[in-house]
Amino acid sequence: MALQITDLVKRYPTGTEALRGVSLSIAEGEFFGLLGPNGAGKSTLIHCTTGLAQPTSGSIRVFGHDAIDHYEQARLGVGLAPQDLNLDWFLTVEETLDYHGGYFGMPRKDRRERTGELLEAFSLTDKKDERTRTLSGGMKRRLILARALMHRPPLLILDEPTAGVDVELRLELWHYVQRINQEGTTILLTTHYLEEAEQLCDKIAFINGGEIVATGTSGELAARFGVASLEDAYLELVGRKELSRGLIPDEVAS
Amino acid sequence: MSRRQIRFLTLVRREVSRFLKIKRQTVGAPLLETFLYISVFGAALGSRINTLHGFKYVVFVIPGLIMMAWAINAFSNNASSILQQKFQRSIDDQLSSPASPTELLFAFSLGGFLRGMVVSLLTFIAASFLVDLPVDHVLVLIPALFLVGFFFAQLGVLIGVRAEQFDDVAVAQTFVLQPLIFLGGVFYSASLLPQPFQTLTHFNPVYYMINLVRYGFLGYTEANVALSLGLLTAAVLALYAVNHRLFATGYKLRA
Repeated sequence: MALQITDLVKRYPTGTEALRGVSLSIAEGEFFGLLGPNGAGKSTLIHCTTGLAQPTSGSIRVFGHDAIDHYEQARLGVGLAPQDLNLDWFLTVEETLDYHGGYFGMPRKDRRERTGELLEAFSLTDKKDERTRTLSGGMKRRLILARALMHRPPLLILDEPTAGVDVELRLELWHYVQRINQEGTTILLTTHYLEEAEQLCDKIAFINGGEIVATGTSGELAARFGVASLEDAYLELVGRKELSRGLIPDEVAS
Repeated sequence: MSRRQIRFLTLVRREVSRFLKIKRQTVGAPLLETFLYISVFGAALGSRINTLHGFKYVVFVIPGLIMMAWAINAFSNNASSILQQKFQRSIDDQLSSPASPTELLFAFSLGGFLRGMVVSLLTFIAASFLVDLPVDHVLVLIPALFLVGFFFAQLGVLIGVRAEQFDDVAVAQTFVLQPLIFLGGVFYSASLLPQPFQTLTHFNPVYYMINLVRYGFLGYTEANVALSLGLLTAAVLALYAVNHRLFATGYKLRA
């Protein structure tokens, strides 16, 4: 298993229980989607997996390595592209990748080669000497993804990677992540774009109120909720089925 | 080089490159500030004071200024760097890396430590051209300066981790650190103070640091050298233990 989460609980000091015994398995090579409304626990689950949050109880194993007791091995296997554009303002584009590689122990020669490769792949070569704060939103998003891939992680976590990006970049990112998935990288994707999940993911889990409510393919989830589409299944989940596109009168829809 | 060594050096490199990229502010400004002190207290005021414990006033003051430069730069560098990275959440890149709490703590500490060292060294070199500055006890001076630098580097890390806004760092620096340093005897000899201020000064930890550094340079001290070194080492270890606990538990760093 690429990621095995068992009975994961995360309770914040305020008493808020963000995760209430989540269990999840993602097989190696899978493209896995995690869907749920804001505040459902998606980011908390990702943060617990990558060491940015400390689980209250439960276990997380990344390629068999315990993410708490053997975090060094576990974290080497994960690349995180977070939702926030959390780039270091003091660094240039090239340094951002180089430092990240260094944090993961990559030797200089390997870092240099990999940086060149990723700058090229994400059309950032011309911007390599620019400070990150001068980049456009789209460029920042590309750099965040390139940074996550820098140390060649076998598990890539994408936390709402296409939020606020234009159509071309969204499609570009889709093509890229589909390609690396076909090359063997396991991907965990959270998104609010259901069409994105349907298009990319082999398997999808619905998370709500800190619990995994259902898991399956897009078709299986629709069948589970007795509806025609993933979107309708999602609306059932969040208790807003009155918003279903099927209920929009024809004249409005047209 | 092992994976761990590469990781640690990169973490340190990030902290050093940060202050070097803004060196006018992080190195130039503190150097200028120290020279303004030397000019005002040494040249202008010092000419009115004959000698202090047998030393020209400016020579008496310079060891304290060198120590103060190391202390304030080590502190402010680390507090600002950590807080900035927390604000931008760019610190998540280091926190989600395989780096251990000890590696992270040492790397963040070394940034300010090295900045303080650069400013102090430049101050020392320049001051040596201006006045005849002796170095009487180098074997006390170097450990004393290193311990002072490491103490304030740790203090900067502590404040940076705890801080939630830039005001928190400014308050610690302006209302706690600077009064302690100024009242510790950088610009005067505490033995000249009237009571109860002379006794009160003995409760200020910076007093012992200044005396150690002054002893290293001039061979003059008002405090017991061995006791001061021992207490300073204990304070550094205690502060390190507190910080290590914060990094191990992820206090205000990890959710």
